[in-house]
Amino acid sequence: MSRKLVTGLLLLCAAAAAESPTAVAIVNAKIVRVSGPPIAKGTLVVRNGLIEAVGENVSVPADAWVVAGEGLTVYPGLIDPLSTVGLGSAAPAAATTAGRGGRGAAQATPTQAAPSAAAPTERARGPEDRPATTSWVLAADELQPNDRRIDTVRSAGFTTTATFPNRGIFAGQGSLIDLVSGEKGGDMVVVPSLGQYISLSRGGGFGGGGGGGFPGALMGVIAYIRQIYLDAAHYQLVKDAYAKDPRGMERPAYDRALEGVIASKRILFPANRLVEMDRMLRFAAELKQPVVLYGGREAYRPEAVEVLKKAGAPVLISMRWPEAPRDANPDDVDSMRVLEQREKAPGAPALLGKAGVRFALYTDGLEQPRDIQRAVKKAIDAGLSRDEALRALTLSPAEIYGVADRLGSIDKGKIANLVITKGEIFDDRTTIQMIFVDGKTYTPAADATGGGRGAATNEPGENQ
Amino acid sequence: MKLAAMVLGCAALAAAASNETILIHNADVYPVTGAPMKGVSVLIQDGKIADIGAKLVPGKGVRVVEAKGLRVYPGMLDSATELGLSEISAVRETVDTGELGEFMPQLKALVAVNPESEHFGVVRVNGITSVMTFPSSGGGGGGRFGGGERQFISGQAALIHTDGWTWEDMEINRSAAMHLIFPAIAGRGGRGGGGNPDFGPDLIPGAAGGSYTQARRTYEQQIAHLSEFFDDARKYQKARAANLPGFVHDLKFEAMLPVLDRKVPMAVSASRASSIHDAIAFAEKQNIKIVILQPRELGKVGEELKAKNIPVILGRVLALPETEDSPYDEAFTLPLEAYKAGVKFAFGTFDNEFVRNLPYQAATAVAFGLPYEEALKAITINPAQIWGAADKLGSVEKGKIADLMVTDGDPLEIQTQVKHLYIHGKEVALTNKQTRLYEKYSSRQ
Amino acid sequence: MTKLLLAALAALAPLCAETIVIQNANVMTVTKGTFKGSVVIKDGKIIEAGEKVTVPEGATKIDASNQYVIPGIIDCHSHIAVDGGVNEGSVSVSSMVNIRDVLNPEDIAIYRALAGGVTTANILHGSANPIGGCTLPIKLRWGKDAEGLVFEGATPGIKFALGENPKRAGNPQGGRGAGTAVQARYPATRMGVEDVIREAFNEAKAYKAEWDAYDAKVARGEHGLIPPRVDLKLQALKEVLEGKRFVHAHCYRSDEILMLLRVADDYGFKIRTLQHVLEGYKVANEIAAHGAGASTFSDWWSYKVEAFDAIPYNTALMAKRGIIVSVNSDDAELMRHLNTEAAKAMKYGGLTENEALALVTINPAKQLGIENRVGSIETGKDADLVIYDKPPLSDYAKVQKVLIDGKVYFDRDNEVSGRAAKQAEKQKLIDKEKQSQPGRGGRGGRGGQGGQAQ
Repeated sequence: MSRKLVTGLLLLCAAAAAESPTAVAIVNAKIVRVSGPPIAKGTLVVRNGLIEAVGENVSVPADAWVVAGEGLTVYPGLIDPLSTVGLGSAAPAAATTAGRGGRGAAQATPTQAAPSAAAPTERARGPEDRPATTSWVLAADELQPNDRRIDTVRSAGFTTTATFPNRGIFAGQGSLIDLVSGEKGGDMVVVPSLGQYISLSRGGGFGGGGGGGFPGALMGVIAYIRQIYLDAAHYQLVKDAYAKDPRGMERPAYDRALEGVIASKRILFPANRLVEMDRMLRFAAELKQPVVLYGGREAYRPEAVEVLKKAGAPVLISMRWPEAPRDANPDDVDSMRVLEQREKAPGAPALLGKAGVRFALYTDGLEQPRDIQRAVKKAIDAGLSRDEALRALTLSPAEIYGVADRLGSIDKGKIANLVITKGEIFDDRTTIQMIFVDGKTYTPAADATGGGRGAATNEPGENQ
Repeated sequence: MKLAAMVLGCAALAAAASNETILIHNADVYPVTGAPMKGVSVLIQDGKIADIGAKLVPGKGVRVVEAKGLRVYPGMLDSATELGLSEISAVRETVDTGELGEFMPQLKALVAVNPESEHFGVVRVNGITSVMTFPSSGGGGGGRFGGGERQFISGQAALIHTDGWTWEDMEINRSAAMHLIFPAIAGRGGRGGGGNPDFGPDLIPGAAGGSYTQARRTYEQQIAHLSEFFDDARKYQKARAANLPGFVHDLKFEAMLPVLDRKVPMAVSASRASSIHDAIAFAEKQNIKIVILQPRELGKVGEELKAKNIPVILGRVLALPETEDSPYDEAFTLPLEAYKAGVKFAFGTFDNEFVRNLPYQAATAVAFGLPYEEALKAITINPAQIWGAADKLGSVEKGKIADLMVTDGDPLEIQTQVKHLYIHGKEVALTNKQTRLYEKYSSRQ
Repeated sequence: MTKLLLAALAALAPLCAETIVIQNANVMTVTKGTFKGSVVIKDGKIIEAGEKVTVPEGATKIDASNQYVIPGIIDCHSHIAVDGGVNEGSVSVSSMVNIRDVLNPEDIAIYRALAGGVTTANILHGSANPIGGCTLPIKLRWGKDAEGLVFEGATPGIKFALGENPKRAGNPQGGRGAGTAVQARYPATRMGVEDVIREAFNEAKAYKAEWDAYDAKVARGEHGLIPPRVDLKLQALKEVLEGKRFVHAHCYRSDEILMLLRVADDYGFKIRTLQHVLEGYKVANEIAAHGAGASTFSDWWSYKVEAFDAIPYNTALMAKRGIIVSVNSDDAELMRHLNTEAAKAMKYGGLTENEALALVTINPAKQLGIENRVGSIETGKDADLVIYDKPPLSDYAKVQKVLIDGKVYFDRDNEVSGRAAKQAEKQKLIDKEKQSQPGRGGRGGRGGQGGQAQ
């Protein structure tokens, strides 16, 4: 049975390498739609990069390549709602769950593609110098299709990422991209502008950068962000007045930093601790900006759930669950706060789900399929149902970014982003057989199959 | 006219050598080593407490100090300061603690004591008559402001009076202890705070910088390095005893001899229970006497300290807890813990600025459970015993040096004033830079 | 943790009741004398205090026999409960930043200060710049969120700093003149400190004029106007000029104190409090004439050159000249015993017991403009109270209970008796973690020494 399958897949991929088949039909597979109950044994037809039909009794078009789906499960392709994949080949995503004291914050090697050129090296003397601001940078314009991470995360089942530049305070605007391999970065773009990535430190991440110009402290960063939005509002007033009637008015200056901020339809704010969530949600409300929080480490706390619910803001939960440091002084005991975080953080998604708070999971720099699978499994073990886990990486991110009409579930008319597994997705021994992105087929990279690697390759590090 | 009288008066006091005979008349005497005595007199003669009794009669030429309603206590002893060695802590030029060098036992704090330091006048006003003054720097390498390698042995701490014309004058014991900063591994977390870190052990970065395994290895290497130095000292001791031709005196090892002979104790800075335990083991191995400075926790090591009769000098009682979860009164109850464990202890402030508040540190310990008598002992007779001067200091007893404070109340209470102070039998003026500035600006119209 | 919290809340429940009577206590009101009697609290306010009171129906009784009740202590200078750094030292004037944005209600220092009797604290920006950031007083309502700490209705403040600290960034090598390799930040001398402040207010005056002109136009009913750009930095200084924001100025030496008073006079605003002001005794007349309050240390000295002439009689001397003086902490440890810090003014300078107590209660309340709400035990004021087991100005006294707005926020008996359970709960987590990670301590890493964790 499996040999026939393998042959079929190989043939299909061979065909894919040569040219895309006009239509593909996966028959007799279990289809987990997410948007509705799963189909135990059904058929799915893909044509022109879209899902043409899905159901129990769908007829297979004459021109379709047929993939035997017995013993396989089809899921919607996973969506990573916060990633840097596609921007630069060597730069690992700056872990947003930085270590204490800012140690981890600026660790990421700064080989990011575009933004570094614009990042000023002089000391900023105040907000007017626009420190650490590249708000106009659009991920869609900076994509590097040869980023080898595309293949890696795709092999983990991801078909789509919300890719954001993430260095600096106003790091730039993110774009939703489908992980197709190709020549032009532009071919990947699904939504060019998702919103502005904002961090609380000049180096990116959760803060802790010091020495050098303004701003040096957290309150400086917040004051700067506030000033930018005041400036943007004023800028817009002037622009509108000028547009209405320029005569007699001094022509307004062009400020690309403010243009970038104005162009962002939502903002991403970091928040791990309850105190931070409270602070940033209040701040976003003050700025009158739709906000998505990222980090969410203390989202398991009832007060955090409360605060998120009240604000109605979605939160992206990092899959880098806090772990105990490996080589610790046995004389030392972590604080209760830290111990609790480690114990309860993976339970946050389940609690948020129960409370009806919109959330999604994001990889936070995890790339290897094994690491990702383990991280999701941890949340499942802590109470998140498999369905909810799947939704947190498919339909929920799509809803958060307003693209649920075309992505995130297996429905007729949606983009054909699929992942086909042998076994239940996120289980330890499940293997990914095939991935569809925009209807194009891919196999997982040879060294990155789900069940391959034994040890997690990622150092958990100190995530306090 | 008044001014002339004042000047003459001061001159008289200044000129009064410690061979003036003074009778403190009709006071309540608190000897510390015995029950309080009401309405007795104390005779000071030749710098010593010559007699204590209810019916002492002043002889001819004896100056009588009427002390009805007042109390006589032994002058207080602060077991860890930098008095005379540091004037303004932020300004290196005024600071003489923290020499460079790994093993510097030959350095003597005494010779760098500036008798004119304003700090002496300031602390005298609150009844502190003698202190241990230490040659050491804080964490980091030798060299108080950094720039040196990690220092193990800082030099000899001196027991001095807080008054005198020269450091020779002030000296009680130029080599009361040898200071050793024991290796330590940094803990994670911990606010600490409240205490001055200057005396603290050099913290090897633990989980923070490298791994614990690495830190542990460095820690053990450092202890080994320390042991090597002691081995070399013993080799020297042996060679010296043999006194063969060609033997060369080495100042460092000469300074180590009294330590090896158990004549001078090693004052060991060690804050965590595990370091203290290792320090005790080290002392056993090397067969030396030790005193532990500024332990931050006792725990199980309290039993060990008691069993081996090792005293400790407790640092500031008014200090923050070590970790986020520690009880808020952790530092306030440490003296009680030491007392319950049967460990002998004295208080030290480990800086200069707050030496005058020594009795109030003791009072806080009392508020949180330490018996009053123990608190008083910890700033008088205990330190005298710990630093080998119990025959001379620490209590109001016949034959001891006349280091006395005469107060209008309980010296541990803030509102109490010291009315008279005697150091080595001489009455010391209770004026200082601060009282002079106060007077000057009080008189501004 | 939740179970424990619920248990603790349950234990506190009777004391969260609306009506409370503290009975049989030695009540030190600070402004209305000391007596043996009771204090009645309802809905967070003191409704009666006296030797004989009417005990309302159903009131929870706290028996404070042989104990002492004072108004909650107010610390006029604190840096606790702040996230992400207390100094925006990158620029000489950082009035655009605001402490209120970075309050951390979960800082354990809040709880520890409560255990020392503090109920209100003036949270300040640090002293790295001549003009620092905006500040505010908070109540130490442990357990509430950041907004819940804010002392509602209190006039906000701004921090200025004079002397050695704001100069430091201008002399990065610590030597004479500006550094070479490291970029120096103006100012490097006390002369420059004055210049920075004058420059900033010059700009602020122009900014204010711009806005006043605009506001006038709007008032006249003009339409289609574009308002001037809001500049957060200058906005704060405009508020100072308008008396809407209090200036709290860190200062040491008499020359710089005088300088600042004259600058304020020139620009037409008042310095609300001089902080530290260790040489205030030298220019007490001038401070009194200007009307600034003084918030100082009891007996700190000699840690820097500018602190070398500090005297513990400073408090008493300034108080005797008619200045409203408070004693503050500027330190998370010192703030736990401001009662004894105040007591030192009895020893050094002969203040009476009540005068000393005022230094940490009604005086800082007046300095912060909140004396209508706190600072003494009077009918109508907030029920911010501390119960001590011994006379509060004795260093033998311990805080037993602390109430804020009539709610018990600290109870020593509960705290002590709850420790075992807390420790057990923590141990459970530790054990659980050890079980699930047995190989921890020797896995991988450099030179992998196998499992020597324990």
